[in-house]
Amino acid sequence: MTEPVLELTHVDSGYGEVQVLDDLTLHLNPEEIVCLIGPNGAGKSTVLKTAFGMLTPWEGSVTYHGDEIGGMAPEDIVREGIGYVPQTDNVFGSLTIEENLRMGGVARESGLDDVIDRLYERFPLLDEKRSANASTLSGGQRQVLAFARALVMEPDVLLIDEPSAGLAPNTADEVFGHVQAVNDLETAILMVEQNATKGLGISDRGYVLDQGTVRFEDEASALLDNDDVSKLYLGG
Amino acid sequence: MVLDLLASGLVFSSIIVLGSIGLSLIYSIANFANFAHGDTMTVGAYAAFVTFGAVGGLGFGILGLPLGFFVALLVGIVAAAVVAVVTEKIVYDGMNAGSIELLITSIGIAFIYRAIIQMGFGADFTRFDVQTLRPIEALLPYGVRVTLHDVAIVVSAIILVGSLHALLQYTDLGRKMRAMADNPDLARVSGIRTDRVKLWTWIIGAGLAGSGGVFLGLYNQLSPRMGFNLLLLIFAAVILGGIGSVYGAMLGGFLIGVINQLTPVLSDIRFLTEMGAMLPLVPDSFGIVIGIEYANAIAFVIMVAVLLVRPNGIAGEAV
Repeated sequence: MTEPVLELTHVDSGYGEVQVLDDLTLHLNPEEIVCLIGPNGAGKSTVLKTAFGMLTPWEGSVTYHGDEIGGMAPEDIVREGIGYVPQTDNVFGSLTIEENLRMGGVARESGLDDVIDRLYERFPLLDEKRSANASTLSGGQRQVLAFARALVMEPDVLLIDEPSAGLAPNTADEVFGHVQAVNDLETAILMVEQNATKGLGISDRGYVLDQGTVRFEDEASALLDNDDVSKLYLGG
Repeated sequence: MVLDLLASGLVFSSIIVLGSIGLSLIYSIANFANFAHGDTMTVGAYAAFVTFGAVGGLGFGILGLPLGFFVALLVGIVAAAVVAVVTEKIVYDGMNAGSIELLITSIGIAFIYRAIIQMGFGADFTRFDVQTLRPIEALLPYGVRVTLHDVAIVVSAIILVGSLHALLQYTDLGRKMRAMADNPDLARVSGIRTDRVKLWTWIIGAGLAGSGGVFLGLYNQLSPRMGFNLLLLIFAAVILGGIGSVYGAMLGGFLIGVINQLTPVLSDIRFLTEMGAMLPLVPDSFGIVIGIEYANAIAFVIMVAVLLVRPNGIAGEAV
């Protein structure tokens, strides 16, 4: 059995005095896409923030390749090899595309220019607008830049918070295509997605969260076929 | 007369701009309105005053100022930066408080800076021991009365602001500063060591304020209240330009400085009102004379007028 790259075990976490995650356990295997779904307030984004050090777990452990990272600062976790794409405000609007990518690589010790060149090849729309301010990009383009910024570190785990939020359906499909493309680079992805059907559609496995804990976990296709899940959480 | 006022506006603007940049930088990166910023300027001025007294002229001069003055300027910049960083480390950083608490604390810090300076130097005005210069002859026919010292202030400010621009645009630190001002959370997520960037922001912001204080002392004179008296104008400049935007602060500082110095023009204007001609007991020509004591008020009226049209300031994002 493969060892998970990222594992949260019996985690309690929250904001200030308010507890959101309650004894939550989940894991992410190398190279897979895992989707977290569930109603608003279930704690999906809180899972990502706790894994990425923006929140310190109250109880339980967060491990990366078996090493404890719970409570480490985000700027250190980036250096370990995990990337994070926030849901909103995920680009530096007043900086150019090029500068956004450079900011994504501040923790790199070498090869920054090479990796940025490769990202330009992969995402030609960014190449065309290198010196434009990120604020001039459309919603879908911003999402692409946000991915690219996180990929400059060549992470082996990428945490993505609601990639399709606020996007038109066909733009959302493009963004999901990019998520799969990123995964093809052997990057494991833990993604939160409001659009459960589409999110699970590109995922290997999924977790259904409710009230801060895991209600269901299974292969993504099995969750989509599960009558209880579909009745309670997929609006069917 | 207008040309002369524009010239002195340019000199005064240079000083306001040097103060505004630091206030704006610290606001956007340390996330609070630093009311001790004006008094940081005073710290720089007095540190330069002491240094200049100790080192003297040091021989040859540039733009009517002896070399020793520039040494003193450098010490003033460093002293303001050191005092600000020590305050940040001991007081603000250790408090772990919100922006309102930090704002109120900074008012207290301002009192402390001022009290210490007053204990050391008294409350009276004093001046740098440099030769008082006559206005530049070549400009007198145009009605412009500026001295070489005024030119030195403007040139130095241009050099300092130009250096800051180069730092912000072309260096790694500058890009990180802009990134952090833009979005501090994303900066951390990207791996930027935000503590270090914040420290540099204090050093640069307070250093520029220190230089502004030295020039204010040269332009006018020194007193323990000199920086504090300027603080409201600096706030007006930062708000006018767009809070948190460094380039906005530069523009706002320039405009506020010029507007402030142009106020005497208004004392010549008489508004002819149609009302006056129509009403029996009111004279036909109904004049309003605005004296220079309203210079600061005028600057604020213009600030408010601009904010009514652009609520986030000139360089701020449109709402």
